[in-house]
Amino acid sequence: MSALLRELRLLARDRAALALLAVALLAAAVAVASGLAEVRQQRAQLAALADADRREREAVAAQQADWGSAAYYTFHLTGAPPSAFAFAALGLREHGPWQHRVRMLALEGQIHEPDAGQPEVAVLGRFDYAFVAATLAPLLAILLLHGLAAGERAAGRHDLLVATARSGTRLWLLRAGLRIALLAVALLLPLAVGSMLEGTAGAVALVAAALVTAHLLFWALLCRWLDRDGATPPSTQLMQGVGAWLLLAVVAPAAIAAVAERRHPLPEGAAILMAQREAVNAAWDLPKAATMQAFVARHPEWAAHAEVQRPFEWKWYFAFQQVGDEAAAPLSQAHREGRAARARTAATLAWLAPPAALERQLEALAGTDATAALAYETAVRDFHASLRQWYYPRLFRDLPYAGDELAQRPTFTPPPG
Amino acid sequence: MTAALRIARAEWGYWRHSRLLLAALAVFGLLLAAIAVLSAARIESEATRRAAQQQAAEQAFTTQPDRHPHRMVHYGHYVFRTPPPLAVFDPGIDAVAGQALFLEGHRQNSAAFAEAPSAAGVGAFGVPHPALAYQLLVPLLLIALGHAAFAREREAGTLAPLLAQGVRPGQLAAGKAIALGAAALAMLLPAAGLAVLAVAHGEAPAIAALQVLLYAGYLGLWVLAVLLLGALLPRRADVLGALLLAWLATALVLPRLAASHAVAAVPASGKIAADIALLEGLRNAGDGHNAADPAFDALRRQLLAQHGVERVEDLPVNFRGMVATIAEERLTALLNEAAERRMAQERAQSARLAAFAWASPTLATGIASRALAGTDLAAMHRFQREAEALRFEFVQGLNQVHAHALRYADDIQRSVDPEAERRTRVDASHWRLLRAFTFEPAAPAARRDNASAAGAALAAWLLALALGLRFAVARLRP
Repeated sequence: MSALLRELRLLARDRAALALLAVALLAAAVAVASGLAEVRQQRAQLAALADADRREREAVAAQQADWGSAAYYTFHLTGAPPSAFAFAALGLREHGPWQHRVRMLALEGQIHEPDAGQPEVAVLGRFDYAFVAATLAPLLAILLLHGLAAGERAAGRHDLLVATARSGTRLWLLRAGLRIALLAVALLLPLAVGSMLEGTAGAVALVAAALVTAHLLFWALLCRWLDRDGATPPSTQLMQGVGAWLLLAVVAPAAIAAVAERRHPLPEGAAILMAQREAVNAAWDLPKAATMQAFVARHPEWAAHAEVQRPFEWKWYFAFQQVGDEAAAPLSQAHREGRAARARTAATLAWLAPPAALERQLEALAGTDATAALAYETAVRDFHASLRQWYYPRLFRDLPYAGDELAQRPTFTPPPG
Repeated sequence: MTAALRIARAEWGYWRHSRLLLAALAVFGLLLAAIAVLSAARIESEATRRAAQQQAAEQAFTTQPDRHPHRMVHYGHYVFRTPPPLAVFDPGIDAVAGQALFLEGHRQNSAAFAEAPSAAGVGAFGVPHPALAYQLLVPLLLIALGHAAFAREREAGTLAPLLAQGVRPGQLAAGKAIALGAAALAMLLPAAGLAVLAVAHGEAPAIAALQVLLYAGYLGLWVLAVLLLGALLPRRADVLGALLLAWLATALVLPRLAASHAVAAVPASGKIAADIALLEGLRNAGDGHNAADPAFDALRRQLLAQHGVERVEDLPVNFRGMVATIAEERLTALLNEAAERRMAQERAQSARLAAFAWASPTLATGIASRALAGTDLAAMHRFQREAEALRFEFVQGLNQVHAHALRYADDIQRSVDPEAERRTRVDASHWRLLRAFTFEPAAPAARRDNASAAGAALAAWLLALALGLRFAVARLRP
């Protein structure tokens, strides 16, 4: 106990160490505050959009006189609201779309439409908590913990201290343990406050805290290893530590990304759009029966209603939209599977680089990773399919138009975050 | 001068005896060379691929069969954003901005298929490109090499004899600056190589040279900062800690903090909200598919009076084509207004970012670098405007064909009468009205102007640090 008190007194006199702890607390607090502001803005934006979208849909519905026009002119808002932990790791929500407005036209022509943020901002990346915990914290830990034994040796106190503490390891454990514990508190306190404000599930917040702490322990052990003989000068150890950060936080993640991307090449995005466009537009030049035949081959339930008599009929129009989607489906599916495979490979290899592993884990907890983005995309696809299911009987069976039924159209449900 | 050179040589001799410093030099040299080669290969293959896609898109359009011109308005066209020559050094927004933009009637789409959302997404920095390596990593090497420049002499007790031998503090600092500056220059070789490559691909030599000069200035700034703190602080451990903190704050934290601040200060309303607002305005502008829309009454009256006829059927032009032309014009005015508002919003965010350039030379260098390379927000907006000009041009070209190359009587019957429908299909030679598109970076002078404000911030830093170093060196004590 007296040893701990002595270490506390020593630390209280170490202005550099106190300053580093203050920097950690400040960085984590700013990151949490800016993350909270961001997710609140996203929620407000979605709510405002939902309102505008509903008004717009009602205005459109009032002008329609047949099912085909209603399907053609009505947009439906879909959106994935940020999870209760998204404030900590904004992840892919920065680059990838988390809201779409879709209508019953070919989906492949709509779902790749980005609602991207400002590119110059995206290039820099956000100052979110995941960045602080995964990228900044290791540097602070290295600055705080490097050369603890060597520093004492240089000051000529080492042997005396080891003698009174009976073992060098115990002394180091006490001194480094105190510093790393305080660093963890500085980093976790803002996270706890943010989690309480957002109502994050306790389990999620605890797992996140455990991961952040484990990551800090990794860097503490690295510092101990660099300081193992107590003879390397502290400034050399500091450089070695920063070198290790460079390797594990910059070089290794880049190599992992390169491996994942090379191993799982994606079909060209533009090729998906072109395939869809060619199929959709070709329908205008083909005999209508050819399109309906292709449609019925995949959707035999409409075989009895597939005859088109006039040069323009809505059921033919929407059938060729779907045929267009189906023409692009193999490419589009390969694109999604490629992205999922990249995420899996990256997740496996990320364990080689602890900062990358922590960042990915936080994004997974926050529902802002590639898996969550794909889940949202799947939910949009399912919703679009349910719209088709709702309109097709009315279009193919030529049911009389009843505007008040439009209120029963399917509504989008975001995937569970 | 010879005294300074002697001191520089002694500094290099000290590096040669440190395994750690030799290893650091080798690792950074290899890392920069590898990043430069990989980046050049990647960007060049991207440029070739997108140029080929552009050609394929143009061919697909011009080889479409005979059909109703309005079908071609909806068939649409693709344009691709090819990276400029200097993107091999600084790809800037390339990875986060869409590459392919679909152009069609009645709509302004956003560029789709950016790399970033489909990337593996590992680590905070993604796959580093040369500009990022220079902005973020090379300062670490300069810190490792130079932090002990004065403190080492002080701790070894050689500073006092040196000064006593008549070496003036200014000569001492000059020698250390030459030693460290030479290392910075050596590290600039890959950048210079990429600049030459960019010139070979058509970049203006003056801009490429300016780009290298910008990074020389940035690294020079770190040389000065390393020597300044080295002269001010007594122990090498203190110098190193202070320099690392300065790097952490200005290179790592401030740019991201600036990004977070920019979006919080100027919240973007997003494209969907703008689209919804537009649709509302559109209902008043008239639907170009529906010539009976009351919004076109004035046009009908004017055309009838102009040609002295009673009914639209008797007009010498196809009324539907005229309506499509006017509707597209009105709609485009609305769309452009919304696009300009969005671009102004994005520029405002960039202006917020740029304010931080005075606090972070790293951010200043990044902003100037993207501006010079033509991979900044201005370049993206330029792409959007050029693509829109092309869209409006070919859509209106097709609408003119619609107005003059087919008869109104057939046009209104085509949904019910197959023969009339056949007569509304115009000859495919009309599709050659599409202009070829290549996206070129802005003129060198414009890019230089875009870079000037951030460049001024960098110059101010250089000047301040040089003055500070002069002051600190004059007071150098053993």
